[in-house]
Amino acid sequence: MTLDGLDPAILGPAMAAGLLVLATHVPLGREVLRRGIIFIDLAIAQIAGVGVLAAHVMHLSDNALVLQLVAYGAALTGAILLYGCERKWPAVQEAIIGSAFVVSASVGVLLLSGNPQAGEHLKELLVGQILWVDYPQLLHVAVIYVVVLLVWQLLRVEQSRLLFYLLFAITVTASVQLVGVYLVFASLIIPALAVRSCVTGAAWLGLLAGTAGYAAGLLLSALLDLPSGAVIVLSLTVLAVVVSRACAAWARSNTQRV
Amino acid sequence: MKFVIKQLPLVCLLLLSRVATGQVSVFACEPEWAALAQEIGGKHVSASSATTGMQDVHHIQARPSLIAKLRQADLLVCTGAGLESGWLPVLQRRANNPAVQTGAAGYMEATQYLKLLDRPLQVDRAAGDVHAQGNPHIQLDPRNYPPIAQAMAGRLAEIDPQHAGDYEAGLSDFLQRWAAAIDGWQVQAQPLQGVQVVVHHDSWPYLADWLGLQRVGTLEPKPGVPPTSAHLSKLLQQLQEHAAAAIIRSPYQNAKAADWLSQRTGLPIVVLPSTVGGNAEAQDLFGLFSDILQRLLAITS
Repeated sequence: MTLDGLDPAILGPAMAAGLLVLATHVPLGREVLRRGIIFIDLAIAQIAGVGVLAAHVMHLSDNALVLQLVAYGAALTGAILLYGCERKWPAVQEAIIGSAFVVSASVGVLLLSGNPQAGEHLKELLVGQILWVDYPQLLHVAVIYVVVLLVWQLLRVEQSRLLFYLLFAITVTASVQLVGVYLVFASLIIPALAVRSCVTGAAWLGLLAGTAGYAAGLLLSALLDLPSGAVIVLSLTVLAVVVSRACAAWARSNTQRV
Repeated sequence: MKFVIKQLPLVCLLLLSRVATGQVSVFACEPEWAALAQEIGGKHVSASSATTGMQDVHHIQARPSLIAKLRQADLLVCTGAGLESGWLPVLQRRANNPAVQTGAAGYMEATQYLKLLDRPLQVDRAAGDVHAQGNPHIQLDPRNYPPIAQAMAGRLAEIDPQHAGDYEAGLSDFLQRWAAAIDGWQVQAQPLQGVQVVVHHDSWPYLADWLGLQRVGTLEPKPGVPPTSAHLSKLLQQLQEHAAAAIIRSPYQNAKAADWLSQRTGLPIVVLPSTVGGNAEAQDLFGLFSDILQRLLAITS
């Protein structure tokens, strides 16, 4: 037990990063769950990572902006390919996404065998750590997310599958660099799972459960001196179970009354 | 006088940071530097390490306490030469403590006081994860410690001039005990001269250089990249030509590769602590080297 880590300057940027990630990932996650393509975030992140590795092999990597453009470009290309697959073979889309993940991960290993130094950069991209985030870094992600959310709301993304894939690719490429693959997956799927059986206000309940999960996880990791990312995943899960039980109980009592 | 007034905020900051505990707070990147600071500074120093002897120092998991500790630190001691480049810059940025930023008196890199081994003649990206400044795993040659200890005592005296005399005394006491210990170890280590070993990856050149061990093969030629079948068959062939005495790995390196080779060749595996805290015996710098020697001598007897 230690109180040293309970410092707003330490936990503040991490909590802000969590709120940003939740704002986009909760609505995206409910859509992902509805379509049954839950591993798409892993596949997209891995494809963005392979793009970065390829840039290293081609010696294009000295400029941070170029690196980011390559990552987003690779993720968008992957999203378009996956969208094409969904149109052609909708019944096996989940299997195709899973395969895309292992294939791109293996391509990454092969690229690395010639250039192990690039591995550090791949890790930086895929294993973002929420505590290392600072406010200036959050600013550009916030701008990207505001655009994503506006497009999402204004263009009614549920209608256009291609648009969904593109927005998803942009969002995930930004968030894995911020908080890492585990927290991206958890923020996307766990709140969405929690509110599956909620009759009303599911979107807000998902955000609420997610926010409480991040806050509790960050506080616990500061008090117990444990790695923050992993503690947040666990606290998100606990809160998700609580919310989903509450929703189920609420639904039951409503049906009884009717 | 003018100077004092000009520097007043800085002086206040320095004083404030120490008033809290009354001790110089040392934040070490690796346990060996925390142990060294404790040897020199004794009761005037409270030292902690960002990593433990059981983990790969190239990567660490971010915990809130790491940032909190670096915020309050008076002296940051790291190995340098690129060993911590994956996480130290972000940690320094997040801690936002001017006393320990690169270039400040409160920041030192141990590798700056030594001549490193394996310094590449040319930096070639194709050669993989080579450190341009040379191999940074300097903590496994006891002869490397005196220059670093001297530099550290100087930094401690600069940060905490009130106790400069105690740091000077602590340094000379440590240097004396260390020189005596090295003499003892070198007598003990005579039988290890020329003993041939297979290493997991190239993190042992300083130990080999000190003890005269000969490396006849490397299990993982490029760190982080699994060995290819061609490499493994070449390794087996090499071992038939030059019989090795053992396979060396550290506690945090994957056991599978060493087990694989051991099963095929019958060579014993020696798990050596790579720093202080690497096992139950290596609890300080003296224990670290005594334990390494005992484990190595066990294979030759």
